[in-house]
Amino acid sequence: MSDFSVRSDNVDVEQIMRQIRSRIREKRGVDYTEEEIRELANVKLEKFLDPRGVRSDLLEQFRRKREASLPPNFKFEDTTLFETHRGFLAFIRRMLRPILKLFFNPTPLIEALHIQSKLNAQQAALEPLYYEVIHNLVLETTRLGIEVKNLKMRVESMSSRLDFDERRARALEGVVQYRPGAVPPLQPPTGPGEERGGGENEQSDRRARRRRRRGRRRPDDRGPRPYAAEGAGGTKGAEGAEGAQGASQMPVESAPVTEGGHGAKEAAPEWTGDDGDSSGS
Amino acid sequence: MKLAVVVQRYGADINGGAELHARYVAERLARHADVEVVTTCARDYVTWRNERPAGVEQVNGIPVRRFPVRHERDPHHFGRLSKRVFDETHSIADELAWLESEGPASPAMLDYVERAAATLDFVIVFSYRYYHAWHGARRVASKVVLVPTAERDPAVGLAIFAPMFRGVRAIMYNSYEERAMIQAAAHNGDVPGVVVGIGSEIPPTSDGTRFRKKFNIRRPFAIYVGRIDENKGCKELFEFFERYAATFPRGLDLVLVGSAIMRVPSHPRIHHLGFLDDRDKFDAIAASDLLIMPSYFESLSMVALEAWALGKPVLANGRCDVLKGQCIRSAAGLYYERYEEFAETLYSLESNGPLHARLGHNGREYFLRHYAFPVIERKYLDMFERLERENAAPRSRRPMEPLPGWFARRSRTVPPARDVLAGIPSGAVMPDRDARQQIPQPA
Repeated sequence: MSDFSVRSDNVDVEQIMRQIRSRIREKRGVDYTEEEIRELANVKLEKFLDPRGVRSDLLEQFRRKREASLPPNFKFEDTTLFETHRGFLAFIRRMLRPILKLFFNPTPLIEALHIQSKLNAQQAALEPLYYEVIHNLVLETTRLGIEVKNLKMRVESMSSRLDFDERRARALEGVVQYRPGAVPPLQPPTGPGEERGGGENEQSDRRARRRRRRGRRRPDDRGPRPYAAEGAGGTKGAEGAEGAQGASQMPVESAPVTEGGHGAKEAAPEWTGDDGDSSGS
Repeated sequence: MKLAVVVQRYGADINGGAELHARYVAERLARHADVEVVTTCARDYVTWRNERPAGVEQVNGIPVRRFPVRHERDPHHFGRLSKRVFDETHSIADELAWLESEGPASPAMLDYVERAAATLDFVIVFSYRYYHAWHGARRVASKVVLVPTAERDPAVGLAIFAPMFRGVRAIMYNSYEERAMIQAAAHNGDVPGVVVGIGSEIPPTSDGTRFRKKFNIRRPFAIYVGRIDENKGCKELFEFFERYAATFPRGLDLVLVGSAIMRVPSHPRIHHLGFLDDRDKFDAIAASDLLIMPSYFESLSMVALEAWALGKPVLANGRCDVLKGQCIRSAAGLYYERYEEFAETLYSLESNGPLHARLGHNGREYFLRHYAFPVIERKYLDMFERLERENAAPRSRRPMEPLPGWFARRSRTVPPARDVLAGIPSGAVMPDRDARQQIPQPA
């Protein structure tokens, strides 16, 4: 998301809009208009978003193809060449078959046609299955396409939220105020000479801190118990709890103070309008 | 000085843009001149039904003379004629029939204006596209100061209006974009004109906290004020906002103020409050973070000016030249043309405090500099003085062009108004920058 720094009194709205548009282009790669995207989406999805239409259309096409162009399958057996419904003619053909075989051998031809007939039958049986598979693939592709789209939207949403949170955190960090008398931020360890050279005030501060720490301990606390939370069993997992408790016992002054508690926009002092109401509750 | 303000409807309870504009002008100029308002008995701008008694009454101290409307508008007939003149090659007679059908047809009002013109210095006529404006401008052209309140809609391309724009005495434009559009359509650059617009009665104080308590609005919000109508871009606004709300669960809410003539989506972050009185409206704007103006067609958005007067930035529809131009000129608002821009601009206004504050500050300054009532009054009075000077000094003023003859009026040779409009340049106008570009630079 965009983040414009306004440093001067002059705001150039056209410049801001140019920045916004270039940011959108960077995000999306190609800067399609909304209409173009819709058009593309319609073209890509119109075939897939109506599975019923896909199925009926496919089956209808299949049926039409079958009726129009495919001839009926022909069963071819070893007797097919000599078949006749006239008994006398069948007898003559059977008698003359050895003489026919003197001229050529019809058996391979019969076998080839027999196999081809079987193959045709198998193919015819497989065709509906192929269409069923294609149809299921179309359905699955549609589902996956929609799922991918949803996931993309979720990723976009999460990315935006992350961006929002990061900027909110930055804005909050920017307005942290340390009140006078608050605990100073941690300093890197210094050498013993320097420690010794500390002034009277530093010494007394340390003593005071030590007293406060002692004061917080319970009377029966004789020393630190490893891996034990206060009042909890000594499990290793309770170490974190102790840390959390310690954090809650930080002096109030050291906690960051923001000007508002409602997200990044309250954090920015310029956000509220003159009437002071626009910051929300 | 004696002035008449001629407008299609008038009343303290009428909140239409041009009508409110006319009321503000009448009430403000009444401090400097004798002002009489001449109007119809209608309250409804769709039917022009006579709902108020004819005669004279006082509205906020201004005498208002009402005349009955001869016939109500037949929406079907008007729709058929609109299609013919906007989309088909047609005749001047068709356009005149369209004007008669649109209304408010009140010949008695025009007769009165013509009679009274002799005693008047100027007649300020509002809204060029209505019957009263066209006929009134033709009857007393030498005294008419026209306030066109023109939007970029096909009516600008009708052939009957170009002679009117060329023949009136002066034109008070609402925006630079309106002036550029009318001058491109009518070639009336020689007619005295000035970009004025109108101010608004901004209360000295507004209380956003009171509004929040009264309507139980706790979260920060963007506001839309106006009729909730598809023609005002509200459908697109709802679509965009719902997507935005899904992306930013903790972002701004949307508060709608105004009567709805379309369905408002049921959404936990969209709050429709209906029509509010002025106090609640201004308090609502004061409580808001920004104003959204999704309209495609505006001649001047008074509510945007009100938001600027209260120091609130505006997010406008960039496809409306006027709003876009105002945002750029004022440096007090951003604009969008599609969802991605809507989301980015709204988010920027929501999250970027310094930008928000700067735009709000600029808006307040822009309002005070250009739209505060003293500025508006001064522009009107300057124009009247200029016209009086021109009256004293003989000048070749272009007379109102006569209508074509009977046969020529019925000749179907006039191109569709929509095609004419398409040929008129569009886009925001930057007068300072354009003027700089026209100045030849030294080598």
